[in-house]
Formats: sequence, structure tokens, C-alpha cells
Amino acid sequence: MSTTLQALTANDLRTGEVVFRAAEGWTGRFAEAQLFSDPLDARAELDLAALETVRLADPYLIDVVVTDGFASPTSFRERIRALGPTVREDLGPQTEGGPRVEALRRSHAAARSAGRLGLIRKR
Amino acid sequence: MFIYDAIDAAMLKDRNAEFRDQVARRLSGDLTEAQFKPLRLMNGLYLQLHSYMLRVAIPYGSLNPNQLRALAQVARRWDRGYGHFTTRQNLQFHWTRLSDAPDILDHLATVGLHAIQTSGNCIRNTTSDPFAGAAADEADDARVWCEAIRQWSSFHPEFTYLPRKFKIAVTASATDRAAVRAHDIGLVLHRNAEGRLGFEVIVGGGLGRTPFIGKTIREHLPAEHLLSYLTAILRIYNLEGRRDNLYKARIKILVESLGAAAFAEKVEAEWAAMDRARIDLPDEELARIRASFGLIAYKKDPGARAAFEADKAQDRSFARFVRNNVAAHKHPDYAIVSVSLKAVGETPGDASADQMDVVAHLGETYGHGDIRVTHAQNLVLPHVPLRDVRAVYEKLSESGLATPNIDLASDIIACPGLDYCALANARAIPISQDIARRFSDPDRAEAVGELKIKISGCINACGHHHLGHIGILGVDKKGEEFFQFTLGGSGAEDAAVGQALGPAVPADKVADTVERLADAYLHLRAPGERFLDTVRRLGVGPFKAAAYADADPA
Amino acid sequence: MQMLIRLEQGRFVPAADDFFSLGAEGEAPAQGGVIVPFARWAELGARLLGEGRQVGVRLTSADPAQAMAPVLERLAVVAVEFPVFRDGRGYSTAVLLRTRLGFAGELRAAGDVLVDQAWNLARCGFDAFETKASPEAFAAAAHRFRHVYQASADDRPPAFVEREAV
Repeated sequence: MSTTLQALTANDLRTGEVVFRAAEGWTGRFAEAQLFSDPLDARAELDLAALETVRLADPYLIDVVVTDGFASPTSFRERIRALGPTVREDLGPQTEGGPRVEALRRSHAAARSAGRLGLIRKR
Repeated sequence: MFIYDAIDAAMLKDRNAEFRDQVARRLSGDLTEAQFKPLRLMNGLYLQLHSYMLRVAIPYGSLNPNQLRALAQVARRWDRGYGHFTTRQNLQFHWTRLSDAPDILDHLATVGLHAIQTSGNCIRNTTSDPFAGAAADEADDARVWCEAIRQWSSFHPEFTYLPRKFKIAVTASATDRAAVRAHDIGLVLHRNAEGRLGFEVIVGGGLGRTPFIGKTIREHLPAEHLLSYLTAILRIYNLEGRRDNLYKARIKILVESLGAAAFAEKVEAEWAAMDRARIDLPDEELARIRASFGLIAYKKDPGARAAFEADKAQDRSFARFVRNNVAAHKHPDYAIVSVSLKAVGETPGDASADQMDVVAHLGETYGHGDIRVTHAQNLVLPHVPLRDVRAVYEKLSESGLATPNIDLASDIIACPGLDYCALANARAIPISQDIARRFSDPDRAEAVGELKIKISGCINACGHHHLGHIGILGVDKKGEEFFQFTLGGSGAEDAAVGQALGPAVPADKVADTVERLADAYLHLRAPGERFLDTVRRLGVGPFKAAAYADADPA
Repeated sequence: MQMLIRLEQGRFVPAADDFFSLGAEGEAPAQGGVIVPFARWAELGARLLGEGRQVGVRLTSADPAQAMAPVLERLAVVAVEFPVFRDGRGYSTAVLLRTRLGFAGELRAAGDVLVDQAWNLARCGFDAFETKASPEAFAAAAHRFRHVYQASADDRPPAFVEREAV
């Protein structure tokens, strides 16, 4: 059974690395991202993040789907941001490996919703 | 090889100090992102999907061995051990940090490299023919004029905040290896009937959402007036280009809306009113630039050709390499050697730091210190003695740089696409790898012959797909990667925008489709015809039929 | 009174703005310098010039330099607006005013005038700046580059002239 939640992402201003809002602070691991079921909570976090102008660049909310206990971004683009380039598996957060990274890799098909347009870049 | 003088070096130093200060002010919060972003872009630094991407300028695609080695050092020390050569003859590092950018630029400045104006709404790197200075068919060395443009356009105070980016390309041969007709300004250097050197000035070419082939606004501009004429064009564009709509802001839109004749009149009027003497370069400066490129002391080597032919006769692989990757030099005892960055299974245009060092070494040892980048994302050693081509080939082979595929089906231009780029809708690199694998048999690739495939991951067309013999554009359809095909485009002197083939094709069908198109060509071609020629003779119809032969109606 | 930065003999100095900038509506004060928006020049320009006071015009980024040519000699100030710093039309307008039309009065940059554009503005012929930046910061930014590659509206010799002199 799948549920749709949200997560908050940005790039670290200094390093450019992809980061996600965690329960405390920010993390480079999607698996540690805080998941918001209430859009108002998510929005409140986004507004706070927008104030962090010397720490973050371009914070925004993304849709996340949870299937069989594993969370994955709905959008293919966000999956690539969370993992790294599909053509260089030795680069990006995916190099850490482990079950969470594997689940994220495999979740590509499960995360798709058929029929809607513009899903690859959808946040 | 062009040598920067003390003034050029001071420019880089001052620019880097300015940028270091701007980065510090951004990191401390003194500058907002909105204020900083245009400044950051004008130093070639993009925020991409995974990290900051730094685009290093390689002016008119020309490098010396020390510069290429410095790029390898940057890759190792501040990035992930590789770089990506682009369709504008630049190099991109995909994993840099904003906090490291000032140090990277300082390191690059020690060899006269920089990232000045490689992004932003300003005049970008002027690109050119990678064979300039070595080609038999050139009217003059285009690099001399490119260097004049580089200086004039660098930190031009009036043209720093244009409506949109501005790209200039220069060729000096009838054979256009620089796609000049797809640029905002394309310049064709030639001699007129009286033997005077001048430029055909072509304006309003461009790809992206609204592709155009440029229109000639002046058949012959005396060469010494190049910079004043460019100033006239840029001033009119700066004042009249649209600023209300990002997608209508390029000069091609202005030329199209005014009409080429009316636009030309405006340029001529502005040019006539200008105090040209202050802007055009005096003869002394042109001579200094010319001399700074140095003169290659070509050595005659009467026995070289026979030895070369003997080598080819004995070694089929070497012969194949020569057939595809080696071009004739203006001097009979030299050759122009291409370095393929399109090994099957690799990312098109990527080179590892080690590979960069190998090419630097070859350029230094055999190539008179001259290395070029092509807009097809390959490298060139333009001055290799015929006697040394074999040794160069062997060294390139050891490093995966000798795939004998220049201009063949596996010599694919592909943008970084959704694997790297924040603007992309689809991935381009794995598609290019799928296609290249289908043509990995060199006999099959040669049987098909010249077939320029170009892939873009979004409508911004950094992969130049509009100009492909086969052009492929990635789109997002129902959340899946689909690819639209065009046929019959060209970036050469017969420039044309490709025609749509039919409905978009899913990712896993792209390579099949390309094979069907290639097979259709083999079936339909007349003797001596390249793929492009057959498409032009027969039109898209038979190819469309072949491509979609068993397609589902859905 | 608004503070300006002026460029006088190569130095950036704070200065008081002696001019009253008229808006889209309203009257000029009885005396003193006044800057008229270009859109109101037809309505007010001739009369104000006739009063023997210091008169200027304020051009938006879309207003052509040429339009003021007939009266340029009589103007004390031309102010050119930058609605946003990225709108670079004002640089060409300034260059044309200075070099083509020979305007010798105060050429003032107004609107979104930030310190990082000081160098461009000065080279294009501006000598007054409506800005929140300090004169010191402006001067530092304007003097960033020891050399220039091309001629503009200022008198800095381009690199190729410097090279000839050696």
C-alpha cells in the first residue's frame, strides 16, 4: 500500500550538495529525510528554510511515496538527485550503498504514477 | 600556441580577486542569491542537480599541454577525477563547490585559463574550427580573429547585461566545422574577388525552442572592421532585444521580427555613425596576436609518407584509425589526428584526468604543443608529423582514446542530460550509450558511414539535436522518458534544421529506431551517398515508414 | 535630500542631490534644479528650460538617447533608470549620450544601482549614482581592473593602445 508524503530538499550553499531536512538539521541521505503528512507542516518548514540564506540554496518541497515501508521521491528527477547520476554509480550519495540505497534504486517503477504529464521534473 | 601577456594575466588576477570577494559576500549574506546569481554565472558557475558545475572557457577550443594538465589537476584535486568537453568547446567540472571556486580559478589562472563569461546574459566563448591553422582550405587562421573577439568581448562594460546569452562562431573554410550558421553571429572569413580578407556576417542563428539558421546581413565586411561591426550589432541587440519574455530574448527573434534586411540597415546605420577608429584593432595589434600564436616550424620528411602507407598496409586497425580519425594537413608530411572521446559504453565528451594527461603528453611530444576541442566533444592534435601518427595512435589506444569512429554513428553528441543537469527532462547519456553499442562493430559503423547523431535532454538543445542527421530530443511523456526524432539536420555549411520524424519513442526503443533508420539508408542509398544525402533526396517518408513499421497505434 | 555618489576627477565622493525629481504627476517647486520624467518632457520641458533654472530629464530603460538630442546641450542632468540591475539598456544609452551625442552634463544612474555594477557604469560614462552603496565600496568596485580590453565612453586606453605605447 502506498501513501504520498512530502519531504524538504535544497542544495547546500557552500558545497552544492543535495540535502534533505531531517528530524534535526539537514542530511545528505534521503533515507534520513523527515516525511511530512500534513502539507501545512511541510509549508512551515519550507518557509523556515527560505530564511536560511547563507546555508541553503533553493529549498523546495518534493512528493514522496512510501511503498512497503520504503520511501522514495515520486519524481524521477528527484530520485536522481537523491542517488547520483544513473551512468556513474561510483558518484553521488549512491556510493554509500546499503539496503536504503538499493531500495531507492529499485523503487523507480513503484514510484511512477501512470497517465499524468510532466512527472519527471515534478517536485 | 597563443601566449597571454602581462595585461591578460593581470585581467585574470583582477577578475579572480573580484569574484573571490563576491563569493565571500554571498557566503556572509551581504549579497542575496538574486544579486549573486548573475555574477556567479558570469564566472561560469551553475548550481546543477548534484553540485555546482564550473564551466571553464577554452577560447576558440585551443589548449596547450600545460593548460590541459592543469585541467587534469583541477579534476583530481577539486572534482571527481574527470571533466566533460562541451558543444561550445569548453570544459565542465560537475562536482565543484562554491567555496572552492576562487581557488580553482586561481589555479587555472596560472596557465591562463578562466571561466569568464561562460554563462550569463553576456557574450560567451567564441568558438571556431578545430583545424584552424592546419587546414588546407582556410582563407586565414581563424584563431587570430577569435582572439581579437575574445579580448573585445571580455568585460565589455556596455554588453555585460544583454537580454540573453550571446554566442559567436568563426570559420575560415568553406567547409564549416564550427556550425557558424547556428550561432547568434556566425562569421565566415574569406577573400573576395580582389583578394581582400573579409567576413561574411551571418546573424540570428540559434537552436532551442525556436531553431533558426542565421541570415547573411553582410556578404563582405573588410576584416579590419570586425570589432566595430560587432559593436554595432551588439548595441542594437542590447537596446532592442526583448526583455519581457525569456523565450523571445535571443537576437534570432529580433532579426526574425524586423526582417533581415531591416535589421541589416539598422546595423549599417549604427556602424556608419560610430567612431570606428577607437574600436577596431590597429594593424600592430593584429600582428602581435598573429605572432603570439607562434609559427610551426614544419619539417619536411620525404620518407614519411611511404612509411605511413606501409604501416597502414600491415596493420588493419591502424588503417581503420587513419581512415576515420586522421585528416589531411596543409603540409604533406603532417596530419590532423582526432582523439575520440566516444568510446563505446563511456559518456560522450568525458575525459578522465589520466586521459587528459595522455593527450597533453602527446601534444607536447609530437603535436607542437597544440591541442584543440571540437564542438562534437572530441579533441584534436592538429599538427602531428606523419612519421609520428603511429606512435600517437598506439598511445591513444592504450588509454581508450582511439575508437575509430569520428563522424560515424557512435560519434554521438550528447548533452549531460537529466543525469547531471537541472534543466533536463530526460537522460541523454544512457541513450547515446545504447545507440553506440549497436554500432560498436567497426565494420558495421564504417558500412553506414558518416552519420551525425545528436541528442539533447531538453529543448534548450545543448546537444544540438536540431542539427543532427538524426536528432534526438528527450521529453517527459506521462512521467516516462520519451524521445522525439528529427532527420536531415546539419550544422555544416549546408546548415539546416532537422524535420520531425513521427511520434516520440520510449527510451528502450530508441536504439532499435536508430538501427532501423540506418538499415533503411543502407537499403535505399545511391552510390556515394551519405545518410544525410539519402534523406535529402528521398525525404522523411521512407524513413518514417521504416522507423515505425511495427509500432503500436497507441 | 537624497545623497548621491558623484565621480569627480576620478574620485567617488558623496554629494547632495541638488535636483528635485518630478514624478508622474505634480508640479515642480518654484525654483531650484528639477529633473523631468521623459514621459512629461513634452508637457513641461520647454517651460522649465525657459525659466533659466537647472533642468534634467529622467529616461526609462526603454527611452532612446536620440530623443533628447535637440535639447541635450541645455540639460544639466540626464538620469537613466535601471529598473533592475540586469536590464543593461542603460549602458548603451549612456555610451550614446556621451560619445555620439556629446552630452557633457551630469549623467546619473538611477534605480537598481548596486556596487557590483560600478565598474560598468563608470566606463559607460555615468558620473553620478543614486545608490545605497558607500562611495568607498563603489570606488573599490570601479577600480577593480587595472586594464581594459576595449574603448568605451570613458578615457581609459584599451589594452592594445597600452601595448603600442610600450
